[in-house]
Amino acid sequence: MVSKNKNPEKDGVSRRSFLQGAGAAAAAAGVARIPETVIAGQNGVATPEVLGPEAESILLKVNGADKKASAPPSTTLLDFLRNDVGVTGPKRVCDRGSCGACTVLLDGQVVDSCSMLAIDAVGKEITTVEGIGTPDNLSRLQKAFIEKDALQCGFCTPGMVVSCTALLEENPKPSRNQIREGLSGNLCRCGTYQNIIEAVEHVSRKGG
Amino acid sequence: MRPFKVIRPVNEKEAMEQVSEDNASYMAAGTDLLNRIKEHVASPDSVVDLKSLPGMNTIEVTDQGIWIGALVRLSAVSSHADVLSRFPAVCETIIHAATPQIRNMATVGGNLCQKPRCWYLRHEGYSCVKNGGTGCWARDGENEFHGIFDNQICSATQPSNLAPVFVAHEAVIEIASKDGVRELTADQFFIGPASDPLREVSLEEGEFVRRVMLPESTRAGSWAYEEAREKQSFDWAQASVTLLLDRGGRKGDHRVVLGAVSPAPLRRSDIEKKIDGSDDEIAEASGIAGAGATPLSENGYKIPMLKGLIGKAIRSARSRKEG
Repeated sequence: MVSKNKNPEKDGVSRRSFLQGAGAAAAAAGVARIPETVIAGQNGVATPEVLGPEAESILLKVNGADKKASAPPSTTLLDFLRNDVGVTGPKRVCDRGSCGACTVLLDGQVVDSCSMLAIDAVGKEITTVEGIGTPDNLSRLQKAFIEKDALQCGFCTPGMVVSCTALLEENPKPSRNQIREGLSGNLCRCGTYQNIIEAVEHVSRKGG
Repeated sequence: MRPFKVIRPVNEKEAMEQVSEDNASYMAAGTDLLNRIKEHVASPDSVVDLKSLPGMNTIEVTDQGIWIGALVRLSAVSSHADVLSRFPAVCETIIHAATPQIRNMATVGGNLCQKPRCWYLRHEGYSCVKNGGTGCWARDGENEFHGIFDNQICSATQPSNLAPVFVAHEAVIEIASKDGVRELTADQFFIGPASDPLREVSLEEGEFVRRVMLPESTRAGSWAYEEAREKQSFDWAQASVTLLLDRGGRKGDHRVVLGAVSPAPLRRSDIEKKIDGSDDEIAEASGIAGAGATPLSENGYKIPMLKGLIGKAIRSARSRKEG
């Protein structure tokens, strides 16, 4: 949820973002404001929610945990994750939505976190590579990456793992072309594509 | 990135009021706008977030056609069962656009309203007719990916993959405007620089796209979409051909619309007439691909490329019909 952190009256919740389902941390004062907003909107009275340009308090659900920090609403999801709440799995490479190194799941779908605002991820489930496996508990796909030597410098790997995980979730038995298509938004400058495809096929062969 | 305010209007009137403030810009997903802000070619003080408006994120199937809300994500269109079965060419063009990540983010309205991908226009150091200055740097500069038709004033091409197929289907673009709702057909909606070099679509100040209707009466008997590009993913077409045959069950009611070769999608009725089922229709139709073209120093290759794509499209559409 997004709120004016420097304004005690509005602190803790913003009316519309609460309505959009941010949920858990809603303060009682914010709840009381909801009917007012709804009525104003229906009557066509101009009451837009205005955020920023100064920092706002932003609360996101990242890998199942609440992450809150203060950042301008113009902050991209990627910069918020990396710089404001210390989730550094998603990498900042092109910052233009062309390389896929910043890929995260938003409600289960792959997106480029560099090309959207953090405030637009409020109320959604964000999954980064950190949410897919940990060094002590790697996912089967991550193990397959190691087994098939599916990385070289490793900088594209977090995005690749997220995209491959989403692909296998949606289609547990992808064809080679479907794997290529599923990975078409992720670039690897070391050129490890072949081994990445083999890693996905390895998991796919072993079954769901 | 340069900081800006984000304004979330609750209704259309409020959106139009907010965007009329100094230096304000509409935003849907932001996949294009954020890039332009990062490149310093857009610098809004406030962004009016259309995503907060109700009712623009649905696909509605009716007997007359399919209404697609402007806020529907590209991937939600291409995977929609009714769009797939009734307007498959639309889904095919989407699958060719950008990457899976971008297609999960980008909206239909934003796709139609994205700015051209001209590298001069997207570089803060260049002033040209398209950003309020004069002239076109690409005409005598690096123009490999620029237009070969209608390229005298500005040689940037229309970057939307949906634009040609919407023109081919005579899609209705429903626009929210100060006086209520107005409608344009897709071929009226996309405009060239002669109308106004600053705009690629006929949206007046404060207006935005609400939804788009694909008319049932233009469903194709058969169809093809062929495009050429340098990379297999995250690249824009160098040239594309959208072909619809026997629309609405009317024999001979074809549409050929060329993409990525002109400032607005280019319908070619001269090519349509050559697609007559005769043995030499492919040679006849592709033979005139370059009629009227004025290629620049580096993009003459687009003419033979179009010839190949037209031939491929006709073969593909004919075989689909028979199969």
